[in-house]
Amino acid sequence: MSATASRASGARERRSNPLRALLEAHRSLAAILGMAVVTAALPLLAAMPPLNGFNSQGVWVDSFANAGVFVLLALGLNIVVGLAGLLDLGYAAFFAIGAYTYAFGASPFSGNDFPFWIMLLIGAIVAATFGLLLGAPTLRLRGDYLAIVTLGFGEIVPTVFLNADKYTKGTNGISGVYQPSLAGYNFTFTDPWPYYLTMAVILTLAILAIYRLQDSRVGRAWMAIREDELAAASNGVNPVSTKLLAFALGASTAGLAGAFYSAKLTFVSPDQFGFTVSFTVLAMVVLGGMGNIWGVGVGAFLLFIIQSVLLKQLNPFFASFGLTGIDFLQYQYLLYGLALVAMMLLRPEGLFPSVRRRRELHAAEELPEEPVAAEAAEGSTP
Amino acid sequence: MQTQRSIRLPARLDGSQLPFVAAIAGSLVVAYALVGPQQFSNFLTIGAVYALIALGYTMVYGIIELINFAHGDVFMVGSFVALWILSGPLGLHGSIDNPALLAVVLVGLFLVTMLILGALGIFIERFAYRPLRNAPRLAPLITAIGVSFILQNIMQAFFGPSPVNSPQIFTLNARFDVAGASIGYLNVFIVAVAVALMIALQLFVGRTRLGRAMRSTAQDREAAELMGVDINLTIAFTFFIGSALAGAAGIVWVLYFGYAVFNQGFYAGLFAFTAAVLGGIGNTTGAALGGFVIGFLQVAAAQYGYSRWSEVAIFGVLVLVLVFRPTGLLGQQLGERA
Amino acid sequence: MQSRRIGAIAVAAVVVAGACSSAATPAPSAAPAGSAAPASAAPAGSAATGSKYVTIGVDLPLSGGEFANGDPTKKGIQLAVDQANANGGIAGYTIKLSVKDDAVNGVHNPQQGATNVQTLVADPTVIGIVGPFNSNVGAAEIPITNQAGLLQCSPANTNPGLTKPQYGALDIRKAFPNRINYIRVATTDDIQGLAGAQFAYNDLGKRRAYIVDDTETYGKGLADVFEAQFKKLGGTVVKHDGAPSSTTDYTPLLTAVQSKNPDVVYFGGVTATGGGLLRKQMAQVGMGSLAFGGGDGIVDGPGGVEGSFITVAGAAAANSFGTIAATHDIPNAQAFSQAYQKAYGAAPGAYSASAYACTQVILQALQAVAATATSPTALREAVRAYATDPTHKFNTQLGTISFDQNGDTSQHIISFYKTDMTAAGGKGDWVFVRQQDFGQSSQ
Repeated sequence: MSATASRASGARERRSNPLRALLEAHRSLAAILGMAVVTAALPLLAAMPPLNGFNSQGVWVDSFANAGVFVLLALGLNIVVGLAGLLDLGYAAFFAIGAYTYAFGASPFSGNDFPFWIMLLIGAIVAATFGLLLGAPTLRLRGDYLAIVTLGFGEIVPTVFLNADKYTKGTNGISGVYQPSLAGYNFTFTDPWPYYLTMAVILTLAILAIYRLQDSRVGRAWMAIREDELAAASNGVNPVSTKLLAFALGASTAGLAGAFYSAKLTFVSPDQFGFTVSFTVLAMVVLGGMGNIWGVGVGAFLLFIIQSVLLKQLNPFFASFGLTGIDFLQYQYLLYGLALVAMMLLRPEGLFPSVRRRRELHAAEELPEEPVAAEAAEGSTP
Repeated sequence: MQTQRSIRLPARLDGSQLPFVAAIAGSLVVAYALVGPQQFSNFLTIGAVYALIALGYTMVYGIIELINFAHGDVFMVGSFVALWILSGPLGLHGSIDNPALLAVVLVGLFLVTMLILGALGIFIERFAYRPLRNAPRLAPLITAIGVSFILQNIMQAFFGPSPVNSPQIFTLNARFDVAGASIGYLNVFIVAVAVALMIALQLFVGRTRLGRAMRSTAQDREAAELMGVDINLTIAFTFFIGSALAGAAGIVWVLYFGYAVFNQGFYAGLFAFTAAVLGGIGNTTGAALGGFVIGFLQVAAAQYGYSRWSEVAIFGVLVLVLVFRPTGLLGQQLGERA
Repeated sequence: MQSRRIGAIAVAAVVVAGACSSAATPAPSAAPAGSAAPASAAPAGSAATGSKYVTIGVDLPLSGGEFANGDPTKKGIQLAVDQANANGGIAGYTIKLSVKDDAVNGVHNPQQGATNVQTLVADPTVIGIVGPFNSNVGAAEIPITNQAGLLQCSPANTNPGLTKPQYGALDIRKAFPNRINYIRVATTDDIQGLAGAQFAYNDLGKRRAYIVDDTETYGKGLADVFEAQFKKLGGTVVKHDGAPSSTTDYTPLLTAVQSKNPDVVYFGGVTATGGGLLRKQMAQVGMGSLAFGGGDGIVDGPGGVEGSFITVAGAAAANSFGTIAATHDIPNAQAFSQAYQKAYGAAPGAYSASAYACTQVILQALQAVAATATSPTALREAVRAYATDPTHKFNTQLGTISFDQNGDTSQHIISFYKTDMTAAGGKGDWVFVRQQDFGQSSQ
């Protein structure tokens, strides 16, 4: 993985590439093209060695669609944490709200059957509303106090879904949630492609929207607030409304992801939205490179695949080297923990740090030639 | 703008502290009236455990602004170390009835466990956090989560995934009756140990050279360095104390509940962290206060039949407190981070 | 979840064991296992050696805290498969296992379960799945296996909502509501809660119950049924608390209820979610002499077995009762326990025998249909159809069972156990009291 990382950062250094210049200038085009290429390439990769040794192509595509949910979550959290600099440790709450909103809107339990496509929007709107409700009284809190309030919110929401059993079926969860259909075609479990393509479209739209936002007045206000709230405020940025907007947009992205998630899984239960989800998404954002949309996306994708596919294949993997005596499955989180620590120590700014953030962080040092080595050296001598 | 961080402690008691002391005393009376004597003893005991863990959180946060998510797991390791010492080298099974022998074993247990845990804290800081001291702020947060995974898995590999019983050397049957309640001597012992450690901590931070170094580092690391404070040593020492206190909490846990399990640190850590924030993070008195508040909320929820909602109550109170006092119960108004 | 039958049954059984090696049960109708006669076609996969094989999928939580649940369960499956292979396979097939872990970050995860099942569905050699362990994972998996027509046998799920139409099961098997693909060997909560209430009220003469559940699917379901049935019998429920598995300090709950004078405490949950700790702390607050009861979640083996109720609660485990959804007098219980002990160097876990039984069902179905199927798809469907046919009986570790029109076990016998702290050489164990057939009474 570090090889990929250094190649990627090497590529970023070559700024003279004309295609790159064009794409830099037309980010929307780049996003659409990039997503199209990725969407087409992933299933092809999955059908080739070594990936086809793990799973069949169909299962990979299914996993990719699931990974897309987490990519979407990471993109949304990136708005809050990476762009606006607000630490949110309870992001799974909005994910849960989106998922339950869809389950209320389209399941035998509620008796409603609203179309998936409308419920996607409604899930996003409901989650955003809760984001505003939580944010309005708490966003004036200083960074880490906000973090604990969000953490608390993240614990409260699943507990409410758990205990309000009359309305949520409590611990049993709501099952039989309806799958989407489009122009008469019904999505099924046996065909992962429609989910995959839907997710690709959602992600493309999300990336476009986030790019637009990031480069807009609002985006600059977020970054100004992230860097220095006082200075931003004295320059005419309204910190409260700006932060609220970031919070609500982040929440709505999670709501969207939640609606998609429950429609695909056809089941929601409170135990799916615990703190582990919140910190997994946070780890995705930080590992990918906070503030960098593509970095966050790739980080989320890789981490999800590691967690749900590669870690689960440790036993066959080591068995192929003749190591069969040890149950590696049992120790997967030891390895995962070690990997998290090692990756952060090696690349404290994430795999693909945002260029702007990097410039900000190294403003005094005139951007070193070898950023990776420089960071490492600097990190070890405080 | 330089962030103002500090490990705060109240100045020596004078007139200005009276309202605070009165408020605490008043709260205790109200708490007593609400839950009765037996539950009062219950909440002080569990509150003491949370308070001891919360101290470590708040000290580490005060000095390097890191939410040390592995701290709850350090507490868990403390429980296992204590459990192992009791059942391994000491080979104990039941309670020790000879008070003198019990005292010797307890003193030794606290000394050894706290030293081991302190060393573990220094080790974690050296390898997982120090290299990232100047990295983006969230990087050490992620390594902290990684360290948490590692500690849990190591303990799971050694002791298995199920609760492991420990010899309860402090007999639970030694009780006395007061105000219609039957209070265990162990409960009294736990609260006394916690309070004694907190007072020792206050004295240490307030009166010693290293304590002064800790406070100055917390307030302004660069200035402290210019004044000749060894920053690395000071931060390492903060981890030593914080982890040793978590170790003490781990011992108390094993003595009281008689078991340890590899994932006990998660919720205990979560509540202790909440306690630290509730009290005003960076403030050791506040952390202790927060620990008792959370212990009380849990007990009150159980008393009134809302145990399903106790987490909601804890975090709901947290949100309310922060809405009205944005830096916690005892936190001072701080400048926004630059 | 549930059906912690092994501890009490296999380990404590006083049944005289049959021959030790007879655990690999012969199929009910077909030729004896191990006859190497090649079938007319080779529908499923072929290994490099040329011998044909089929795969049994396993989906259980196998990492983090849930490793304690999943691993002994997995070993039960492994044991059945190893024994079958040692006897020459089933109808010419060697049996392989494909083991999947549905825990993410150490906690069972429905999405991971769904992914695992997708993987197994996509593998044409898979003829059946043993799992899942958790009902919530089941709710996400059954729709997939139902659509794909793949047999799934859960050793531990007890939530009635997974099978019974009146609890909403038709929403889960929506694609083919009448084509059953999910079967389970554990009796549902509604029967066990009823049995527990009757035992407490009639046998023990208790009138004032205090109920604690762990807020999880199994525990809450069991506790709610117990509450309803206990009230129906004329008893009083003084309080019903929910204590999530993160609870470690039960003393405030117990202190609060002491003044209400309960004469029995019923726990809905398993030892790992607090059953043992609750019992232990009852002794600490001076309620140790009260009767304590629970479902099969706490009847999980004698003292000394790592993580069992009696081990965790220690001496406080005395005067406890529990129910198990199986007959007590199972043949060869001892033999299974010994074979397991020999293979893995540890006593069987709470669900090892159930998992073993699930595997036996799949293997016996395979034995019966192997000769007729001509393609992997046909074999998979034939195994499913055979196993879910209510007229077919299976000779398993849990006794002779069949599955009704919803896939639930025909076995409605509940056995009652009490703790005896002098049993198992002074370590304490569950001893059999009596058993009763609850038939269709709960439906």
